[in-house]
Amino acid sequence: MATRRPAAALLVIVALAAVLAAARMADALSVTVTDTECIHEFVPYEGDTVSGNFVVVDHDIFWSSDHPGIDLEVTSPGGNTVHTLKGKSGDKFEFKAPRGGMYKFCFHNPYGAPETVSFYIHVGHIPNEHNLAKDEHLDPINVKIAELKEALESVTAEQKYLKAREARHRHTNESTRKRVMFYTMAEYLAFMAASALQVVYIRRLFSKNVAYNRV
Amino acid sequence: MAARLAGSLLPLLLLLAATFPAGALRFDLLSGHTKCISDDIKVGAMAVGKYHIVAPDDGGSLHSSSSSQQQHQLPDSHRISLRVTSPYGNSLHYSENVQSGNFAFTATEAGDYLACFWAPDHRPPATIAFELDWRSGVSAKDWGTVAKKGQVDMMELELKKLEDTIGSIHEEIFYLRGREEEMQDLNRRTNSRMAWLGFLSLAICLSVAGLQLWHLKNFFERKKLL
Repeated sequence: MATRRPAAALLVIVALAAVLAAARMADALSVTVTDTECIHEFVPYEGDTVSGNFVVVDHDIFWSSDHPGIDLEVTSPGGNTVHTLKGKSGDKFEFKAPRGGMYKFCFHNPYGAPETVSFYIHVGHIPNEHNLAKDEHLDPINVKIAELKEALESVTAEQKYLKAREARHRHTNESTRKRVMFYTMAEYLAFMAASALQVVYIRRLFSKNVAYNRV
Repeated sequence: MAARLAGSLLPLLLLLAATFPAGALRFDLLSGHTKCISDDIKVGAMAVGKYHIVAPDDGGSLHSSSSSQQQHQLPDSHRISLRVTSPYGNSLHYSENVQSGNFAFTATEAGDYLACFWAPDHRPPATIAFELDWRSGVSAKDWGTVAKKGQVDMMELELKKLEDTIGSIHEEIFYLRGREEEMQDLNRRTNSRMAWLGFLSLAICLSVAGLQLWHLKNFFERKKLL
């Protein structure tokens, strides 16, 4: 390291910093969507792969069977729609950014009930071989490290997706259990009430103060 | 050697300073409204968050050369308040009418941590754009101090980060496996409960019918009809 020329060391460090800064670590956040919620994310370079996922974690649905779904629309800084998903209760998306800039991810809830959406967005950048050719001091190992980092990020993204889906599944199960108990108890009570009504009615048919009673 | 190291670190720092704050998401907040963002954090995980108000134009305002001018043009009345609450309701951070701030905490309870932003009412109604950079767990670790402390090579730092990421992936897989086991248990219990309740329903049906018949038989015998 000490024998390397300062300029070369500089370039290596700058390249590594680019690798470091380009692939950023985000976190899976949840936001409550009542009508429309927009999240903006900055994509530094054109050609970056923007990947992400979202899962609608149900809000205490009791009477209906499943969630109707929400819409996602991704808008590029130029105003064009890059990606659209309609009526989904959870999905993964991935696209190559046509240009750098601020991208808008808008969730739209067509139904009145507010829903909680857990989303994760990741912008990945790999310094390609074109940069390598320009400067022979750039170590190809940096490209490999960036690729490895991207692969690990995709594993992490998948895990966050699975975790959010598991939470949603758990909500559905809890709701199912509650509904089973409620409907069963209601069934028993309705049953006993119907039987009691039957008995009362038959007794009344045979009671003394009915006109057509011959007895 | 020290001068050379310093000389090579300076452009690195400049590059890092010039890049966009990693992982920051920008949200729009209507004045008078509340926006809540939540994150599921495990026990013992560290979480750090930074937030600041930005000009609500659609460019990457931090990257434009006139960003400092845009910062001055932000009206002073554009201020937001934030409250961070734990899953059990304890308030971890509270700041009122600020333009920027940060918070950090170590999670003592597992669950959804809520960061609620609200803006005071404006006449006419204005949209305040703010950026939030909230990381928890592995990404919350401060790699700058790790690098400075051990005089580590950049590549070694990157590989250390990868190692940490792999460790967190490993832990997450264990967590998911445990949760799946719990869910399987819950499903099995619901299944057996439904079977039980089915039999109970049949038993109630038969017993109510039997009771009915017995009662009516007695009634008719008393009435001397049978």
